[in-house]
Amino acid sequence: MAYLIGVPLLALLSIIQSTVLSHLQLFEGRPDLVLLAVVGWSLAGRTEEAMVWGMIGGLFLDLLSGLPFGSSAIALILVAFLVSLSEGRFWEAHLLMPLSATLVASLTFHILGMGAVLLTGRALDPSLALTRVILPSTFLNLVLALPTAQLAGGLRDRLFPPEVEI
Amino acid sequence: MRRSTSQAIIAITLILMVTGLMVLSLSGHLAPLQGLILRPFSGIQSWIALRVAATRELLSSPRDVASLREEITQLESEVTLLHQEIISLREQAAEAEILAALLDYARAQPESSYRATNVIGRDVSPFLRSIWINGGSDTGFSRGMPVVTQQGLVGRIVEVFPTIARVQLILDPEASVNVKLQQSRTDGLLSPQLNGELWVDLIDQTVTVTQGELVLTSGLGGKYPTDIPIGQIQNVRRRDYELFQQAVIQPSVDFDDIDIVLIITNFRPLPLEHIAP
Repeated sequence: MAYLIGVPLLALLSIIQSTVLSHLQLFEGRPDLVLLAVVGWSLAGRTEEAMVWGMIGGLFLDLLSGLPFGSSAIALILVAFLVSLSEGRFWEAHLLMPLSATLVASLTFHILGMGAVLLTGRALDPSLALTRVILPSTFLNLVLALPTAQLAGGLRDRLFPPEVEI
Repeated sequence: MRRSTSQAIIAITLILMVTGLMVLSLSGHLAPLQGLILRPFSGIQSWIALRVAATRELLSSPRDVASLREEITQLESEVTLLHQEIISLREQAAEAEILAALLDYARAQPESSYRATNVIGRDVSPFLRSIWINGGSDTGFSRGMPVVTQQGLVGRIVEVFPTIARVQLILDPEASVNVKLQQSRTDGLLSPQLNGELWVDLIDQTVTVTQGELVLTSGLGGKYPTDIPIGQIQNVRRRDYELFQQAVIQPSVDFDDIDIVLIITNFRPLPLEHIAP
């Protein structure tokens, strides 16, 4: 069920990322909707599914990018895995958890993206990339982190209502 | 087995699967599948892009919004219908205006044949400066075709699928265009900077470059046709101890606001990589 909803949702988010969010920039940074969806789903406790979402969403992003096919997918799988490491820890339910997870996820995703650009032999100034792309994108992602976590939690409760013993 | 171990196994398995796909993609075996998936994508992208363009048009002209609001107040009963109609008509008018300007441009360059198409998206990676256009190999577009607007050079097609194509903008640091300065009659090389600035490099030190001078494609290298405007000289950087001088230019195309572009379909770039040294 999670994939039935996840696949079209991720496809739609990657299209919105390409068409709409390219006009809503802070310097050259934009919010990463697919990343937020993967982090949100992982924080909602669906960690294994979130990794598969990361792969599928990343492949959709790679279709709409000049980066080597698969690079965003690998970055998002790693991001989902990193976020899943918080599962079961005592700070898991902390209010700041979505923010810190999004911070780590954004930085990891963009640093891996930058690595993919450098691996393809393209010119890239890391300090400019940091100030004009990575930090603004991370800030925008942090702004959207809490509402995304709420939405993901709501979607999880609808799709997988908690079982109650009577 | 501990949960974190099983998660690590899942992550490694997925990464290996993606690595396999990556290898298939690099060898070109995935292209038909990518084209197939991008087919519905391009349809949805162009549908969304049209609405985004209409909304941006609406938001960027406050005077029109005011008149729209007035009209909406007068016709309360038809408010939703009328609002949609106005947005749609305005978009059509804006599109017609752009197309008329493009047609004028195309008429002024009879040696080239053009095909107009919509911009339907931008590269999702903020590190790359490229756009997606509606139309691909099914429409007759191929790699290397130059892309222009009535204002000047936009870039060239670098990736083609059946229904969609990627255009590398001249702002991308990987794009290099041989240019000439119109007044001083000297050549240079357009070198886009990582901070988004456009520089013309390799300008002869002996040449006097003036502010406002027009920069055009020179046609050298065979990647672009000649005499397509690129921009105007904004300021010149000249140091006596350097071999060449550089100039910062203001691009003639507003890259943040491109909705429709023209593809020069009869231009075939020279395959320089096949020329033996």
